[in-house]
Amino acid sequence: MSQPTSPATSQATSHPTAATPHPPTHGTGPTKRTLIEEGTELKGTLTSTCPIVVQGRVEGDLSGPSVEVTESGVLSGKARVTELRSRGEIAGEFDAKVVELSGRVRDKTIIRAESLEVKLRRDEGRIEMVFGDCELAVGDAPDKAKAVAAARANGQAKVKPVAPAAAPALAALPAAAATAPPATDG
Amino acid sequence: MAELTRDQVLQKLRKNEKLDRADLRGLDLSKMPMTGALLARADLEGANLETAVLRKANLKNANLREAYLAGCDLSEANLENADLEGAKLDRANLAGANLARANLEGASLTGANLSGAQLAFAQVSSANLTGADLRNAILTHANFEESTLGAVKAIEADLRAANLRGATLTKADLTGAKVAGLIGTGRPLGEVLVAWLDTSEAGDGSGRITNGEIPGLLSGLRGPMEATAPASRRYFGLGDVLKNATLDFEPGARVQIDSLFEKCIINLGADTELVVGEAGVLADCTISGAGSITVNGQFFERQSPGIVGPRELVVTKTGAVVASVVQNEALTRFAFERDSRLRLKILKSDAKGG
Repeated sequence: MSQPTSPATSQATSHPTAATPHPPTHGTGPTKRTLIEEGTELKGTLTSTCPIVVQGRVEGDLSGPSVEVTESGVLSGKARVTELRSRGEIAGEFDAKVVELSGRVRDKTIIRAESLEVKLRRDEGRIEMVFGDCELAVGDAPDKAKAVAAARANGQAKVKPVAPAAAPALAALPAAAATAPPATDG
Repeated sequence: MAELTRDQVLQKLRKNEKLDRADLRGLDLSKMPMTGALLARADLEGANLETAVLRKANLKNANLREAYLAGCDLSEANLENADLEGAKLDRANLAGANLARANLEGASLTGANLSGAQLAFAQVSSANLTGADLRNAILTHANFEESTLGAVKAIEADLRAANLRGATLTKADLTGAKVAGLIGTGRPLGEVLVAWLDTSEAGDGSGRITNGEIPGLLSGLRGPMEATAPASRRYFGLGDVLKNATLDFEPGARVQIDSLFEKCIINLGADTELVVGEAGVLADCTISGAGSITVNGQFFERQSPGIVGPRELVVTKTGAVVASVVQNEALTRFAFERDSRLRLKILKSDAKGG
């Protein structure tokens, strides 16, 4: 990891904190987290065995079991984590199993994930989630040929013979009967 | 037994003699030049007229049941009220022929040329017209019940008040057909090519539709959204296939697609709500406009960008989207549920800075 750029980054180490944004994930005691506090700016590579919480600004490579970017946090660079939750701002390249996003995704960002959740809050006037120019690759790649074949099969499965009673004879067509000119002899 | 031999028929034709009401049953008249022949009410049941030339012949009220007319030239012939039940007319040239009120029940017309033909009130039930050319044909009040109309070219044909119940239309091209009063197939359409239809009573092109009413109109089936009837709702049912169509939905319309759309262009008005149902597949399609899009099914773009300017894009847990999305100028509101599958490239509109 590179040198911190501010004295505040001295707190950017694994340590227990009662001020975790989320409840403990196991046991009854507090969870150890790596915390980059608001006002802290970190450049370089950060590897942690604990969940990482970004309240400040991180620029560089990051890996760990999970990373949480709070409303005040900015994460820019590359991250390979199991879980990524961001309510702040992210930019760069992210690989994760589970991603939850709100906040902002900046330009030239790539997110690869098995699962992505972005919630739409229709009752609020402002946009909860802002995407810049970015790429999202989430879940198994959809297979167009397979989808089209399945849709066609749906059509074939739905084709059933029409009940004879439902098929009106030509003579029974009111319009035909009413307006047909008489046949003439040759 | 026929009253005339092949040679006698030939001699009469050379002398321009009438053959009206002649008994020609079972005769071999194949390849015979019979242009303009006068055969009104003639009995040609079971006759062999393979590749015969009957151009402009008068066969009004003739009996041609089970006749063999494959490759026959009947262009501009008068077959009004003729009985062609079970006749073999494969690859026959019937362009411009008058088949009004003719009985073609069970006839085989594969690859036949019926362009511009008159078939008003004709009985064409259980007939096989696979690959037939019906361009500009008059088919008003004709009965096509249980007939096979696969791959027919019925471009700008007049199908007003025709009966298609039980017919198959797979790969049929009905673009520009006049369809007021049409009785639909009563079954999902399968793959059809329909860019637009004319629903006007007069068949004058004033009722042109290019949107979601097409499958329901041709099939006669109505989806759940139409069952509740608001005029601004459009429903494309399960099993329908729409290809190469351009669909324009008015502002505020509610549209649901449970069908297969291929190479379609969908234009959404402001606040139009488009829902791709779980069974819906939009392959090689483009969606434009400031509507709200919810994808429970699958969307695959034709070319980048496949989705332009939506107000909202929601992909649910059963949904999949492969596309570039150019955002609305006011920024698109996105929502993705867990388990949705995405290959998305999100781009800001030109109006927005980077």
